[in-house]
Amino acid sequence: MTNEELWQAVLAQIQLNISQANFATWFRGTEISNIKEGTVFVSVPNSFSKEWMENKYNKPIFKTIHELNKEIKEIKYNVEKKLSPSQDIIAKAPSIAADADQMDFQEFKINKDTNLNPRYTFDSFVTGSFNELPHAAAIAVSKNPGSVYNPLFIYGGVGLGKTHLLQSIGNEVIKNFKKKTVRYVSSEKFTSEVVASIKNHEVEAFKEKYRKIDVLIIDDIQFLAGREKTQEEFFNIFNVLYENNKQIIISSDRPPKAINSLAERLRSRFEGGMIADISYPDFETRVAILKTKSQEKGVEFSDEIYQHIASVVQKNIRELEGALNKLIANQTLNNQKPDLETTKIIIKDLLSSPSRVMTPKKIIEAVAEFYDLKEKEILNVSRKKEIVHPRQIAMYLLREELKSSFPFIGRKFSGKDHTTAIHSYKKIVQELIKDKKLEEEIELIKERVLTI
Amino acid sequence: MELIIIKDKLREGLNIIERISSKSLTLPILNNVLISTNKNFLNLAATDLEIGINWWILSKTIKEGKITIPSRLLSSFINLLPNKNIEFLVRSDVLFINCENYKTKIKGLSADDFPIIPKINESDFIFIDSYLLCQSLNSVADIAVPSTTRPEISGIYFLFQKNQITITSTDSFRLGEKKLLLKNTTSLKKDYSLIIPQKTTKEVINIFGEKTGDIKIYFSPNQIMFEYPMPETTHPQIQLISRLIEGEYPNYQEIIPKKFTTQLIMDKAEFLNQIKTASLFSGKVNEVKIKADPKNKEFSIFSQSAEIGEYNSIIPAKIKGEPVEIAFNHRFLLDGILTIKSSEIILELNTNSGPGVLKPVGDDSFLYVVMPIRAS
Repeated sequence: MTNEELWQAVLAQIQLNISQANFATWFRGTEISNIKEGTVFVSVPNSFSKEWMENKYNKPIFKTIHELNKEIKEIKYNVEKKLSPSQDIIAKAPSIAADADQMDFQEFKINKDTNLNPRYTFDSFVTGSFNELPHAAAIAVSKNPGSVYNPLFIYGGVGLGKTHLLQSIGNEVIKNFKKKTVRYVSSEKFTSEVVASIKNHEVEAFKEKYRKIDVLIIDDIQFLAGREKTQEEFFNIFNVLYENNKQIIISSDRPPKAINSLAERLRSRFEGGMIADISYPDFETRVAILKTKSQEKGVEFSDEIYQHIASVVQKNIRELEGALNKLIANQTLNNQKPDLETTKIIIKDLLSSPSRVMTPKKIIEAVAEFYDLKEKEILNVSRKKEIVHPRQIAMYLLREELKSSFPFIGRKFSGKDHTTAIHSYKKIVQELIKDKKLEEEIELIKERVLTI
Repeated sequence: MELIIIKDKLREGLNIIERISSKSLTLPILNNVLISTNKNFLNLAATDLEIGINWWILSKTIKEGKITIPSRLLSSFINLLPNKNIEFLVRSDVLFINCENYKTKIKGLSADDFPIIPKINESDFIFIDSYLLCQSLNSVADIAVPSTTRPEISGIYFLFQKNQITITSTDSFRLGEKKLLLKNTTSLKKDYSLIIPQKTTKEVINIFGEKTGDIKIYFSPNQIMFEYPMPETTHPQIQLISRLIEGEYPNYQEIIPKKFTTQLIMDKAEFLNQIKTASLFSGKVNEVKIKADPKNKEFSIFSQSAEIGEYNSIIPAKIKGEPVEIAFNHRFLLDGILTIKSSEIILELNTNSGPGVLKPVGDDSFLYVVMPIRAS
């Protein structure tokens, strides 16, 4: 007879002798947790149940158990789940911060063990042709971690939902497989953990922690570029997990090939699994996203408003949401739904805000950051190949985006002649015709300029 | 059961006990107070299965016994009696009450069905001044809100250490932390960190807030008990025992900013007054804006609402750091300001999207972290 059956026999007997109310109050959530050397350990949900069992029902419980199993000499009761008997009566408090713009402590939402934010799920992820492949791969991985698409490498531009997708996989795995350990970590966090473990002489403990993981999710891997020691540790952990069929999921803003200063062995590891990219959402999808977000926030606007936002904000889902938030704020303030004219004004303000404007300084900063160089290196006269190419791109962007004059561009770069600037610009224009990769690179850099 | 008791003492106990009795449909006996005799004491007990209270009153016992009686009815009835001695007499689940010209009988339920309030045996304990504890508790206890999704933060977090008690509470929009330094080092064997239901802390403030002298706090893995002695004897007068909330309190130290980008120091009364005034114009969204520039010796407060109008005012202040424009929910700000007792107040900001910190000048024992409203 199993412990469960034994306890069921007790419950069946006891219920005949007490009132339904008492039975429901005191015996709910009780079970036999263990039987050892003639002692039955009964787990009870709270101290009240424990007192009640010990003092009121110990005799009949013991009698029933003893009849079924003569070896039992004693019964002990332990509070284990600590559930309150009246927990289901908690009233929902009226929130005084119902406003969507009130910020809260994000840290509290994040699960301490997995680092995942439960807010991100597949349910709230809008799919379209632009992200079908990564979405399908993510679903497959969450159903069968470690056996299909390992590693899964997802890349795409800023604000297109990489983190959302990655965290959804984590949350889904936890839901499907209770026993699997999942850990989400950003590359920056991972780097600082490596540094701290070296400083505190705890490298072994650090490795041990990561080797126990079943599903490792690393966000924004491009930040590992140029950090050799961190790459080495990551490579070791990667291999251990991979050999043991543990799932590894990685995101980046560009494909593995385009990440500069990434060790070749890591790059080939990344390319060994599934690589899926999230491109820009098409117009219909953008409208669908706006509608989904509005529904989440409990508001509704007219179709022409959605269409206007979707036609103006094209490349960033986060910005779509920002535009929507603006409209909601406007609606609460004026107590009426904004019409198309108001919407146009609001969205225009949003897009011309100072953070959205490109400047020469920002362009050079972004290019340097993207190619993992120092700004000085780009601006100086060096003719090294790995510097010349980024410099040409910077010049191209200054011309293309800011319509700067060629003499101005030349002067910016340590007083080069305007003919050098013309040459650089034309060279990139030519390359762009042939090279699709370069086009992607330039798109990424432009995005960066806007987020600096 | 047969006994004689002084009316005022009975009334005092019943008024407290009555608050704990809960309306329960599944277990109607929870509406009742358990009355029992124990040698020279009358014991009143009530519970809602989260909190249990025991209250003892010195009384002349003629015959031992026990019964449970609906607490609201008994309490209202005793309140109306003249200030004379009261005689209790129990005959088979009926309580007969005699007091001067009043004669009553109240139907009760058998004491056998009343829940047994758990006991804490042989545990670690500390003594602490009840007034100080309740004052400290009062400064943060109201911040938490009931939450079924995150039960840990619906309670009040306590960290008991050898010479300090830290009390913390949050609703995920703001957080208050109060430190209570103990004059005498306690005899605690180790640190205790635990989460107490908000309801319990409110009852503690209600019951012990006006008491003088020390209360004794007992710790156990699942329960905490507050005990207050009887003035006349060594026997306890009040014991309040409560369940603890299971789970781990978030590592809230992470969200307390260690630095600031802008710091304002101003007169508290003035700040309080202007935020209150601004709140009249903030409309439904509760938003008030603060705009400060270190070049000036004052900063401005602004609020507006489409239906009502606009409000604009300035407050003299010492300002350090970077210029900033930030919006807050005025109710969150007011809760923090009202808790601070010093005449000057510090507001530290971390750009317009990071947490702000309110704290008193010259007192490190309290701080209040509050998140702004997203800049639009």
